[in-house]
Amino acid sequence: MEKNFNKIVIVIPAYNEEKNIEKVINEVKPLVDELVIVDDGSNDRTFELAEKQGVTVLRHLINRGQGAALQTGDEYALNNQADIVVHFDADGQFLPREIKEIILPIQNGEADAVFGSRFLGKKSEIPRFKKIIIYPLAGLINKILINVSLTDPQNGFRALSRKALEKITIENDGMAHCSEILYKVFKNKLIIKEVPITVIYHDFGQGLFKGRGRGTGGFRIIKDLLLAKLMN
Amino acid sequence: MIQQIVALIIILFFISRLFWQRKNKKISGNEFIFWLVFWILAALLIISLKKIDSFVAALGFSGKGIDFLFYLSVVVLFYLVFTLGLKIEKIERDITKIVRKISLNDKEDKN
Repeated sequence: MEKNFNKIVIVIPAYNEEKNIEKVINEVKPLVDELVIVDDGSNDRTFELAEKQGVTVLRHLINRGQGAALQTGDEYALNNQADIVVHFDADGQFLPREIKEIILPIQNGEADAVFGSRFLGKKSEIPRFKKIIIYPLAGLINKILINVSLTDPQNGFRALSRKALEKITIENDGMAHCSEILYKVFKNKLIIKEVPITVIYHDFGQGLFKGRGRGTGGFRIIKDLLLAKLMN
Repeated sequence: MIQQIVALIIILFFISRLFWQRKNKKISGNEFIFWLVFWILAALLIISLKKIDSFVAALGFSGKGIDFLFYLSVVVLFYLVFTLGLKIEKIERDITKIVRKISLNDKEDKN
């Protein structure tokens, strides 16, 4: 990685990822200036394994959800002079080599927030049920609740400039943070770009009712979005 | 008539419990006042059931006053559950803030 004025920090939330965490760290670490793992109250050895790799590891005492973990990583990055923060997944569903593609628009000054999309050209093998039912439904709900349309609003691979990070505080602890970030990016009139990325599906991920950890599952996400609307 | 008396006795029992809890400092002043007003209101409604009957009839409902109270209580319950949900959500967010602060502080202490 060439060192210019851009300090690139990657934030990876991890909840019970002892199987994947070392591999992800080894692949991602050489590509960025600092790698921050946020262990979200795992019950397994995620924290110990990550610490051994010599990266920055933050630990939530109890499980608070992916949104909460991302916000913790973001705050750490802001306090440590990050210029660009990339959100990435610990379960190996994204390709580390695509990190440079997702940060490029920010480095070139073309965007403040870059979102990965699995529907823009690159080939991802998406389970049929998700492709036909869940994603269109999620897109529709995003459109109704937060009036945002993007080709892939539920994608967790994104890059945010320091300017964007300073304006966005993730308040949704669970998976509803995807919609929340989009909403806040639009609300703050930040410049957005979508970049094609690849997604590798290992298992189904979250269903309509329940995923892994706090604040997951389709209906729970909708409930969280509505609640957040009422609270703010 | 007998039902009304039974209901009033039950309410009296709860009010006496309330004073007892207040005396032993098990509930705060605000809570005490909220529940006191709640039970007194309930007692008043039961005493004036006849009036409610005619009031409900005047509104054009076919049911009796007691039915009306029942509907009302469901509405109040829904409202309480709703505010409770919001309160819990706020507490959850506060918990997250504490957990986050601890994790960031721990990291600073290590460096």
